[in-house]
Amino acid sequence: MARQRLFVRRRDGTIEVRLNDAGRAAAREAFGHVVAAERDPDHEWRALLRPPIDPSRDEDDPVSSLTRQSDISTNAELAVVTLGERFLSPAEAWAWLSTLQVALRATAVAHGLLTDEQLEHADADVLDTVHTLQQFLFDLADSLA
Amino acid sequence: MYGANLSRIPSACDTGGVSEPTPARASSTDVSVASEERTATLRPWNVVVWNDPVTPMSVVVVIFKKIFGYPDNKATQLMLTVHHEGRAIVWSGSRERAEGYCVKLQVAGLQSTIEQDE
Repeated sequence: MARQRLFVRRRDGTIEVRLNDAGRAAAREAFGHVVAAERDPDHEWRALLRPPIDPSRDEDDPVSSLTRQSDISTNAELAVVTLGERFLSPAEAWAWLSTLQVALRATAVAHGLLTDEQLEHADADVLDTVHTLQQFLFDLADSLA
Repeated sequence: MYGANLSRIPSACDTGGVSEPTPARASSTDVSVASEERTATLRPWNVVVWNDPVTPMSVVVVIFKKIFGYPDNKATQLMLTVHHEGRAIVWSGSRERAEGYCVKLQVAGLQSTIEQDE
């Protein structure tokens, strides 16, 4: 039997969210981590959200860094406030996709999953989180393509 | 075409009949350094996206289409380059715009940096 898609684009351009309670809880946790990482300097994801823009320089342009910080926060906060919605506008769906992708990469990097081999040997709980986020992203990307 | 023409000859100006002092002759080292600086300024900046083992391919394609406005086939080709070669130059041009695109890619959760073309 075919798996039900988690996000479906409707004819009016909105994206229907078909997550059950467990799915919304998983999304809430991912969004919450990104918001917390942007607000808490001690959060384990904090450094992962601030990679260098130009590795050849000691410090990045502060304007670019501030823009990144502001945009990540804006996307994550928009994702949080629309968590209970059944239908998302394309802009809201983009905020979901960006925030889920940030959460996915931060989860992987925080657990040292930088190669396919490391991913194969990852802890089962971490792998479960990664696969859940990937499933959300697969269907969300399909609905936005 | 990108960039200003930095090597153009300055236009002559009227000095009102007063002869201009002869400028000190530049040494060959000065000329060489100036030339290298001009060349470095003119070299475009590349936006590089790096591969990672968790990001779904379809997500990368959607992000490239959204941020750069690339058609599906170009976005897919760039995604495949990232996947197979570990990285891909996804845009080249001025430093300011390269930084802007790099930030947008990072905000969307992709690993991205900028580098000057060699």
